[in-house]
Amino acid sequence: MFNRTMRRRTVLAGAMFAALASASPMVLAQGLSGELVILQWQTGTDGQMWKEVEAKFTELNPGVTIREFPPAGTQGDARGGIRTAVLGGEVVDIIINTWPAFRAELVNSGILRPVDDQWKSFGWDSKLSQAWRDLGSIDGTTYGVTYTYGDRSAIWYKTSQLEKAGITPPATWDEFLASFDKLKAAGYPAPVVIPAKYWAHTEWFETLLLRTAGVDFAAELAAHKVPWTDPKVKVALMKYAEMLKAGCCAEPATMLAIEQPYPTLYTSEDSSYLLFGMWTNSALKNDLGLKEGVDYSIFQFPSLGAGFDDTASVDAKELNLTTNGANPAAADAFADFIIGADAANIMAKYGYASPSTAADNSLLGSVQQIATAAVAKAKVQFVLGDLLPGDLVDEYRVQLQKFLQDPSEATVDTVLAAIEAKAATAY
Amino acid sequence: MANSVAEQAAGPGEVSSSKGGARLRLPVTRGWRLTDAPAAWLLITPVIVLFGISVVYPLFDTIRISFFDIKGLAPAKWVGLGNYVTLFGDATFRNTLLTTLIFTVGTTVISVSLGWALAMLCAFAPAQTTPFRGMMFVTFGISEAVSGYMWLNILRPDKAGLLNAVIGIFVPGYAHSWLGDPNTALWALIFVASWSGVGLPLMLCFAAVQSIPRTVLEAAYMDGAKPFSIMRHIMMPLSLPGVRVAVFINLLGALRAFDIIYVMTGGGPVRATETVGYFMYRESMTQFKLGYGAAATVVLLVAVLVISIPAIIQRTAGAK
Repeated sequence: MFNRTMRRRTVLAGAMFAALASASPMVLAQGLSGELVILQWQTGTDGQMWKEVEAKFTELNPGVTIREFPPAGTQGDARGGIRTAVLGGEVVDIIINTWPAFRAELVNSGILRPVDDQWKSFGWDSKLSQAWRDLGSIDGTTYGVTYTYGDRSAIWYKTSQLEKAGITPPATWDEFLASFDKLKAAGYPAPVVIPAKYWAHTEWFETLLLRTAGVDFAAELAAHKVPWTDPKVKVALMKYAEMLKAGCCAEPATMLAIEQPYPTLYTSEDSSYLLFGMWTNSALKNDLGLKEGVDYSIFQFPSLGAGFDDTASVDAKELNLTTNGANPAAADAFADFIIGADAANIMAKYGYASPSTAADNSLLGSVQQIATAAVAKAKVQFVLGDLLPGDLVDEYRVQLQKFLQDPSEATVDTVLAAIEAKAATAY
Repeated sequence: MANSVAEQAAGPGEVSSSKGGARLRLPVTRGWRLTDAPAAWLLITPVIVLFGISVVYPLFDTIRISFFDIKGLAPAKWVGLGNYVTLFGDATFRNTLLTTLIFTVGTTVISVSLGWALAMLCAFAPAQTTPFRGMMFVTFGISEAVSGYMWLNILRPDKAGLLNAVIGIFVPGYAHSWLGDPNTALWALIFVASWSGVGLPLMLCFAAVQSIPRTVLEAAYMDGAKPFSIMRHIMMPLSLPGVRVAVFINLLGALRAFDIIYVMTGGGPVRATETVGYFMYRESMTQFKLGYGAAATVVLLVAVLVISIPAIIQRTAGAK
């Protein structure tokens, strides 16, 4: 009798365990506990947004506490600080990453674990399209869970300035070039602001490359399967030169001294257009208190008619999960949470778009909706600068600074030859 | 009963009895004595340990790392002198050497000359110029990063920049991008660094002038020497020891300059203001080529030693 009861209890317990084990990870996540360490390097408004995201996660998972590990020296580029932290033995569960080339470095060093199993068990296919999965993959293995993205081919403008100049957002390249004179006549002497002190001057080249040569060529260039001296690269730079020669901008020396575009563009009356990341939206809304869609807006890069007007440059942020994290279950659950509706809604409030289908895009502001719609129908390519090896990207930026100083054909040849020489040793 | 440390240090008969009312004579060093050892070691051990941890270990580790190829998180590979060979073949590094030389000589010449000249003038009215000297010395105490941010606004490329606004009074509409023009960026940095550094040479040279015996100056007056002659033939030559110290300190500071470049130009435009110190940072911290960056650090260290050792030998010889 006793044995039979015991056997029945054992069978029942086994059945319950099997039922639990086969239950969805969402159910198991209810019992999450312990500390989750996130290597978080965003500051200012972005940092504040991230705190809100974390607070929501801990509210849903009261057993989990989150500790942010801020790497040292994050001003500008956080990669140095992340490397120092990792080499110094800091154990974290999650790394926030925005550089695909850096993800490869982390993978090669055995720091990241694949998330293909989690993708299947959590059903992330229902939230993220294959394109976003591919973006976070290396050689068919997925390592990154993309949670936000930005349109890098959107041109920002101040609505009152275009109204004063009597123009609407230009749709074609010729209209765009023609708008410079009208803006100058309206009292804006440098219609386009190019903050060229560090990297932002490369943005124009990158979208022009996509629009003149397409995403496949840009991907090949990023991987150095085609040389920088390829005529297609020269065509893109010559288009850039066309814009400079049309009087788009301030003197080269002024461009080379500008690091931070927001005050220049939005508190002075010199310039109108800016090609910059979508974090501009957050900065303008939250830091400068401007009204999205009223004080400022965006238009998609004007069409060039070269057969590649359906392309756009994008950036993205993803979560990478580590191999040595102390709380992998909580890390998996956080990755699931970040592409869920709760996190997407918080990000929308700050002006950031989520690639997740769970996101309610109606919560996005008007500017972000323009960008989201444009990216949705475009063939996209990740920001070129973030795909290049560190050595090369530095040379690429410096050489394009030289190009800004003298956008002649001879300089274009010299500049591309110099980048190619560096590329030959950088991979 | 054992003698006191002071008695031991002084040796027999060196310390007079206080009852006797005799003057305390300074101890005479007569070489190492076994009985001194515990107290001496106790006193210097913390310094040695701290010096070892914060200076000696990082120094030797930097030299060790410079023999490895370390890129990002990839495993280190031994390359021997490979990093040094690459470094001297690197046109960018050679350019930083030249930039460093111009920056170092420029800031040293300007700040020491200006400090020395001001010290000469102040020496004619020491009491009345005390507030002025104090203000000048304050610039030396301001962090380079803070003064860099301050000067960033003064040198703004638009008309709102203070310098452009002042020039604009005489040349309406004037606007020059001092830090964005490769032809002026380095000189703008030299000027700012000299402004920050002029306080120390002023104080050192002023102190040197003040140490000139009054009798010498009075004798010159009695002989009918004019103020300019006194300055040229007496004050300037006799204040040279102060000038030498100021040159030495400024050279070392300028060679290692980083903060002001980081804040104001980031080594640009087009690497026009990239010194060895900034190159080292860029290679090590942004490119994370630790071995290569360490090799640049060692080269900078050698340059610092080349300047320091003769100066230290000279100072030590002077002290003897």
